[in-house]
Amino acid sequence: MKLIEALEILRAAPKGDTPSCNFFLASGFTPLHLASFLAAELQQRLPAQSVRMHTGPFGDLAARLEALETGGLAGVAVAMEWPDLDPRFGARRLGGRSGDPVELLESSQASLARLEKRLAGIAEALPVAISLPSLPLLPLSTVPGWQASTLELGLHSLLAAFAERVAQAGARVVSAERLAQLSPSTQRADLQSELLAAFPYTRPHASRLASLLAQNLVPPAPLKGLITDLDGALWSGLLGEDGVAGVAWDLDHHAQRHGLYQQLLRSLADSGVLIAAATKNEAGLVAEALGRGDLLLPADRLYPVQAHWGPKSASVTRILAAWNVGSDSVAFVDDSAMERAEVAAAHPGLLCLGFPERDDASLLAFLDRLRDLFGKPRVLEEDRLRRESLRSARVVREAAADSPAAPDLFLEQAEAHLELSFASDPGDARALELVNKTNQFNLNGQRVSESAWRAALARPGAFLLRASYQDKYGPLGRIAVLAGCRDEAGVQVEAFVLSCRAFSRRIEHRCLERLFAHFDVPEIAFDFAPTPRNGPLRDFLAELLGRAPESPTRLRREDFAARCPPLYQSVRET
Amino acid sequence: MDQTRARLLRCFAAVFPGLSETALVSASLGQVEGWDSVATITLLSLVEEEFGVEFQPEDLERQTSFARILDHLATRGHA
Repeated sequence: MKLIEALEILRAAPKGDTPSCNFFLASGFTPLHLASFLAAELQQRLPAQSVRMHTGPFGDLAARLEALETGGLAGVAVAMEWPDLDPRFGARRLGGRSGDPVELLESSQASLARLEKRLAGIAEALPVAISLPSLPLLPLSTVPGWQASTLELGLHSLLAAFAERVAQAGARVVSAERLAQLSPSTQRADLQSELLAAFPYTRPHASRLASLLAQNLVPPAPLKGLITDLDGALWSGLLGEDGVAGVAWDLDHHAQRHGLYQQLLRSLADSGVLIAAATKNEAGLVAEALGRGDLLLPADRLYPVQAHWGPKSASVTRILAAWNVGSDSVAFVDDSAMERAEVAAAHPGLLCLGFPERDDASLLAFLDRLRDLFGKPRVLEEDRLRRESLRSARVVREAAADSPAAPDLFLEQAEAHLELSFASDPGDARALELVNKTNQFNLNGQRVSESAWRAALARPGAFLLRASYQDKYGPLGRIAVLAGCRDEAGVQVEAFVLSCRAFSRRIEHRCLERLFAHFDVPEIAFDFAPTPRNGPLRDFLAELLGRAPESPTRLRREDFAARCPPLYQSVRET
Repeated sequence: MDQTRARLLRCFAAVFPGLSETALVSASLGQVEGWDSVATITLLSLVEEEFGVEFQPEDLERQTSFARILDHLATRGHA
């Protein structure tokens, strides 16, 4: 991004009554263009809000952070440089340097300990993104430049340990590797600017660093599922021609790139990403191949597998139905451009990616891209349950469909158990994740930032109801969240979401039943707003109201009691 | 010259978004509210980026108006 583009993005940002979103950029140097670039990057990610970037007096970074009031902030970015460890590392300070690396390392260690303590505290309440020193160290050592000095090595060791600890405390550390890919180290420092204006970065480096800080503060929503081709993607060779033993993914067969792809898919699957296969092959042969013990992506990580000779777009349709997710949350990988075109025509929202079969250099970029598309800052217990619970959801749907005359009998025999909690826990990442990724059973589709979520739950009268579910088909984990506020006007539900994996179990009914009981009110108001995709929530409210819901809408307890179907789950309230 | 003037106007408008075109053309340090040292650095950075020129530290004190910067650009081949 050019500086003028950044300023023009900020100039075009919504003003007036638009809610503002406040961020703080902390640095030991004058933030200057870094602040403009960062504000513009965040503004692009938050188009419905007006981003405001606050900065403080430059100088002592630790002191600035210690004095920082975090109330009202949506996030904090910290751009560290070497002088933040010890001012003697800066080009703007003269006065002689100690040649004693031990003393410099001790001083740096003390500075990092101070920063760590404060950053860990802030990260408990807010998203924090940190970039470690990205400029070259001034030549301080007496050893030649091609040899790493003990001071350099010691500083990097201290920084690595510091970064690991603040990351464990919840802060997000900018990847030095990614920064190196985007911003070559020789093009980062601007000594003239540093001496003149105390701003040490070239504009391109400031722009790239700002982009990475913004990605850490406001990461894009990860995709939910990946549908992969088999021949030419998951393995090398054509199953129908080469046979089960003839397909390969190892060095011996010059097919290692497919093994690397399998490894990444396994990691993604284990972090909760849904992985399915769509292949034009004979189903029996595919089952046999997926049974090979040396597959790096075990067959049980693939769900579902669509193997037939029909169009792949039909396979994708069935997979999306089995997952119950929209095509815009999914990527499709195939080595054939023709297959990708056929699928893209039928599913315009789907991201279609070509598997780079013959180009090893492109493979690394491809794997990096998958990591970016599906990666998430942390993996939750629910992520691990997702695949199995989808399988059980299918069993539930099919069983209910098989006995349409007696869905109650099926639910009664499901041995369902709900854990409900009214304990407010603003730091529960799963609750916020559900609010921000659920589309179908979602009261109004509103996405909420971490800071806004915490602020909403900190209001007097605010409540949060979270539900975890399991039945004889297996656990689903935390699958429902209901949040709102009780004041003199009554009970107002502002967010109500239910994972699509948990449909058809009447969990939503039970949540409302407990909400009425908990507050003992004759009526509950809902901030309902129709969205293109929240039909299931709309139908649920319509069923209870006996009419289409208004926006917003109110539900009387007597109407709920009259129209609520029988509920069979056992309930434990914590 | 008209094209150079238009490109320079875009730079000034990015730094002083509240000013009309007439005000931007006659803008100078001390006369425009908000034109401080940070605005000078930002402005000269934008001009560097837009025209591919480089300013020296002493230019911070010399390039103090729209007209002066336009003249400076003319001496650098942006007539």
